[in-house]
Amino acid sequence: MSWKQTKDAPFFVGYLNAVPKPLAVFVLVFALCFAGGMGLAALALSSTQNDPGSGGFQWGNRFEQAGLLELRPYPVFRVPGDGKSGPRTYMLSGQGKRGVFAQAEANAVTPITLRGVPVNRGDLTMIQVGKVEATEDGTGNFTPSAAVPLGRWKLAGEICDGKCYAGAMRPGQGLAHKACADLCITGGIPPVFVSTGPVEGRNFFLMADKDGNLLGDEIRDLLALYIEVEGEVERLDDLLVFKADLSTARVLR
Amino acid sequence: MSVQYTPVLWNRNKLVYDAVLLIAVALYLYVFIRYAPAFEDVTKPIDGATLRMRAFGSCAFLMLTVILCIGPLARLDRRFLPLLYNRRHFGVMTAGIAAVHANYVLGWYFNFSPTDKYVALLSSNTSYGQILGFPFEALGIGALLILLVLAATSHDFWLSFLGAPLWKALHMSIYIAYALVVLHVALGALQGPGDPILTSLVTASVVLVCGLHFTTGRMEAARERGEATAKASLEQAGWVIAGEVDEIDEDCAKVVTLDDDERVAIFKYDGKLSAITNACAHQNGPLGEGKVLWGCITCPWHGYQYNLADGRAPEPFTEKISTYRLRLIGSTVLLDPKALPPGTHVEPVKLGVSA
Repeated sequence: MSWKQTKDAPFFVGYLNAVPKPLAVFVLVFALCFAGGMGLAALALSSTQNDPGSGGFQWGNRFEQAGLLELRPYPVFRVPGDGKSGPRTYMLSGQGKRGVFAQAEANAVTPITLRGVPVNRGDLTMIQVGKVEATEDGTGNFTPSAAVPLGRWKLAGEICDGKCYAGAMRPGQGLAHKACADLCITGGIPPVFVSTGPVEGRNFFLMADKDGNLLGDEIRDLLALYIEVEGEVERLDDLLVFKADLSTARVLR
Repeated sequence: MSVQYTPVLWNRNKLVYDAVLLIAVALYLYVFIRYAPAFEDVTKPIDGATLRMRAFGSCAFLMLTVILCIGPLARLDRRFLPLLYNRRHFGVMTAGIAAVHANYVLGWYFNFSPTDKYVALLSSNTSYGQILGFPFEALGIGALLILLVLAATSHDFWLSFLGAPLWKALHMSIYIAYALVVLHVALGALQGPGDPILTSLVTASVVLVCGLHFTTGRMEAARERGEATAKASLEQAGWVIAGEVDEIDEDCAKVVTLDDDERVAIFKYDGKLSAITNACAHQNGPLGEGKVLWGCITCPWHGYQYNLADGRAPEPFTEKISTYRLRLIGSTVLLDPKALPPGTHVEPVKLGVSA
């Protein structure tokens, strides 16, 4: 703790190459501790990172099916059942942080063949659309079923962008990802509500406002937060849609 | 010391210093990005870009922590002074690592969008009115800008161009950068799922940096009180008692604090005494904690040298510092508290020749 310089104390002058031995030993020990400490810190921080989930692009399982594009209110792709499973409804995204509103509006009602890459996390599958072509066969007389109301629910969870949460980014949720989620949703990627409690066995929901319209800037301050919100839930084939009444939203933490 | 500006005046100590830094940083990044992920308990690996941005970001944070600890550590134990010598390279490297972190963030979270990534960075989260969800990226941008400015102005050219007081004040903004980085991490990474290791490291960093500065501050305050001899002294025609000759080791100094908090270093050498200001003209280093080498006062921080009798750097250098007059009565040293203009010659007081 002494600050007073003494005659016997070793004195370091940087531009003199000779470093007094006691100082050289001290600095060497410090250097080893510093480098070793950095290595240990990296090991501790990196090896204990949280699990980003099982989501990811299914590059080896390209998607190609015939069906119908709808706006609910975000673009979804509805395909008929194939005998093994019932009809399905897929959420859609474009390349990167882009939606596919233009393709959905241009090809509404007419049967199409959609090619793309699935992004999948558990029950949540979103198709990153590659190519959309009109088709004259493949859907037969397929008529998508109407939405089935499942009543009013109060759900707790997080609003995410559907693509990153599905696995386009790992991790793709949480406050550190808020700005990215905002950018994705602004670009047209459908927002999803990831609930801590299930409805009909599902924990994620395509979101809409309480009247079933597109969500606007009102979700920006709620994105990525752990919130509680009420709204009507309805089922489109295997996809649940949450018409959130954001006036009831409450930040839980 | 140099009479001309060159990018870096390399010497063996600087090379060793930088080599150790590079090895430590390379080790950190290698372990974080390549080695440790094998031990992760995850369903699927974390994205490479995310892993790299975390690696570079956390590395810059730890480096900044160490940088801020070097100053107080060197005050508490002078054996840490060699770490201070080349600290500017440490700072420049930290700014570089932080910039790589920012580049990964830009290229990942704010890329692949129809919106320009720089526009997206500033416009995608604007929830400035809330703590949870606050755009912590803005805090990181602020810290990075400060680090880059400090790195760019760390050269002695800027010290000379801006002048020591302004340069010093500018570089004190490293503390603002640190505060911004802590908030950046606290409102960002720490808001994710519980990560006890990261939380512990950030907490330890804040406790260490604040604790060391607090301890050093208390030590300095105690030192001021201990030097009250110079303030409440037996004044004799405006002179103050600086202490006894025996208190000063040969080729070393005693530091005296005057009423206006100005510090004066009184050196004993070759049977003589001379007094100069305690602040080095280079970066305000504590000259009184230096030694007399080759007949010159040598600063403990960067080795700047001054003649004892006139406070001038030996030719061809041009730095000058203030000198003070001394008197000796018996074994008691008296100091005239009025600083003389930098470079003023004052005849050294010869020991054994009392006034």
